[in-house]
Amino acid sequence: MPRWGMVIDLDKCVGCQACTVACKAENNVPHGSPEEQKLRRDIYWNKVIAVTSGNYPKVNTELIPMPCMHCDQAPCVTVCPAKATYRREDGIIVQDFRRCIGCKYCIVACPYGARSFNSKEQEEKEYHRKDLPPDRSVWGPWPFPTRTHGVVEKCTFCFHRIDQGIKEGKRIGKEVVPACVEDCPANARAFGDLEDTGSEVSQLLASRGWIRLREELGTKCKVYYLPR
Amino acid sequence: MSLTFSALEGRSRIFLILTAALAVLSLTGLISFMVSYIRGHQVLGTSNIVPWGMPIVITIYLIGLSAGSLILSSLTYVFGKEEYRPISRIAVFLAIVLIFGAMAGIALDLGRPEKSWRLFMFFVLNNMRSMFAINGILYGGYFLIGVIYLGFIFGEKWKWTRVMGLIAIFWAALVHMGTGAIFGFIAARPIFYSPIKPFEFLAAALVSGLALLMIVVWILFRFTKRKWDQEILYALSKLLPPLIVVLFTMVLVDKLTHLYSPHREPTLWLLAGPFSWIFWGLQVGCAYILPFILLVHPRYKKTIQGVMTAACLVVIGIFGERFALVIPGTAYPLAFYPGSIEGIWGAVGSFPLRPMELLMSIGIFALMGLFFLLGLKYLALLPASEQSEQTSAPAEKG
Repeated sequence: MPRWGMVIDLDKCVGCQACTVACKAENNVPHGSPEEQKLRRDIYWNKVIAVTSGNYPKVNTELIPMPCMHCDQAPCVTVCPAKATYRREDGIIVQDFRRCIGCKYCIVACPYGARSFNSKEQEEKEYHRKDLPPDRSVWGPWPFPTRTHGVVEKCTFCFHRIDQGIKEGKRIGKEVVPACVEDCPANARAFGDLEDTGSEVSQLLASRGWIRLREELGTKCKVYYLPR
Repeated sequence: MSLTFSALEGRSRIFLILTAALAVLSLTGLISFMVSYIRGHQVLGTSNIVPWGMPIVITIYLIGLSAGSLILSSLTYVFGKEEYRPISRIAVFLAIVLIFGAMAGIALDLGRPEKSWRLFMFFVLNNMRSMFAINGILYGGYFLIGVIYLGFIFGEKWKWTRVMGLIAIFWAALVHMGTGAIFGFIAARPIFYSPIKPFEFLAAALVSGLALLMIVVWILFRFTKRKWDQEILYALSKLLPPLIVVLFTMVLVDKLTHLYSPHREPTLWLLAGPFSWIFWGLQVGCAYILPFILLVHPRYKKTIQGVMTAACLVVIGIFGERFALVIPGTAYPLAFYPGSIEGIWGAVGSFPLRPMELLMSIGIFALMGLFFLLGLKYLALLPASEQSEQTSAPAEKG
């Protein structure tokens, strides 16, 4: 069984936010509005944070793209009372909207701020993918054309692409990658099987020193960063 | 038993007006809940940064009051202290009403309340590693135990009452410690994360439950003009200062350990940031220091005004304690990466109190007040007075 992971090269990342936009387009995540952003209610599956250290003129800014870390010891999976968020066998943490009761305990428990709550019924114009059927009877995790409010959602490592790719016999990590990896203009992201020593991610991890965010919490996340 | 209990007649004007007012407020709360359910949580003050708002604050507050009240009822039924018998039925009934309010509070906070049955599918559809699911067992069991306990008391089966009372003490302690564990086990939130949280919650439950019981009993007996010995109140008030000291010590140890790294920054922010007035003013001032001074003061501790003021301060202050835990605990930004995070991802969250949320909160209290009044009318909770009652019950919101 593969264990999907991602490697993000911070040396290559230019902070263009293409991954954020690609994610919104691929997964039909609502645009959000300036008001919502002010109230911190907009939904992000992927974000890019800017971290500065030092004072002008000796200052350093680091740009850290942050998808869901898909931790092997995920705090959100531990705290979810309804098994709405769970770890698939291939290591992807997914959210089942049919089971989610909206208690928001996972948002409190997530150390990476990867989760967003649907605080309203989105209007049609707030979606990128209007081609997806606006049919509420399409249940299931993906594609979910329109959202219902009151559930929590998050990055899925584009598991629909991976599942489709496996079905079609394509090589995951080369031909089929998540949208953020595909769209990165600087080629800063790589996706693949962490168990397979020949995969691109394994080779990248062997080639340089790497870090994971908030290692002190012991979440064993599967998104690795190659520092500058 | 020479002591007989009776129900209120509940025909006086003030009783009817109160019942009607509480019913209207409950209905308003219900309507605002329906609005928040139909329009989504955008009508509330919560966000992705502060995901838990007033309903959760109120819920843990009510669970604390309930657990404290139920534990106190055991003074009579388990430890055989006869002097507290007149108020013990009230204590048990109050506990049941309060846990009902707490469960309503949880339901109001859920994004999808129609799926709340999933919380009670223990071991089948539930993830039993979740503190929330474990607490589902505790709350459900607590409600049942409370009802059975009250049933035995009404049936005057003293042996069974004693057994049930023993179970109730342990279960009530467990319930509130479990509630503390919901917060204490979250490693990602520095202000929550503490092994002492369950015990701190238990101490807070005893303090606030005792204070609320004193207020309720005083108001009830005063307004129904029952002849009673106010010594009960003074005796109960003597329990309060030591409990406050225990609670204060727990909080002190909790904050002190958090003042060392890695939790230093968020704790300093709590103690000196925008929410510090709630911590210092309500939690420390209102719940610990002022009542303690009042209750050890040689003059005030002997007056009913002094004792009642102390009890009211405690009940208000413990609410502040819950607020100062839930809201600042989540509002402080997460440290994703060393350094200062720019923009919204490093900004502190805010919690505006929206009208819908306020109405919902008032609705919870009003609903409990309504149930409490109806309980007084239909159940024999108060010691019978010599003459048949002419007046009736008071304003007591849960």
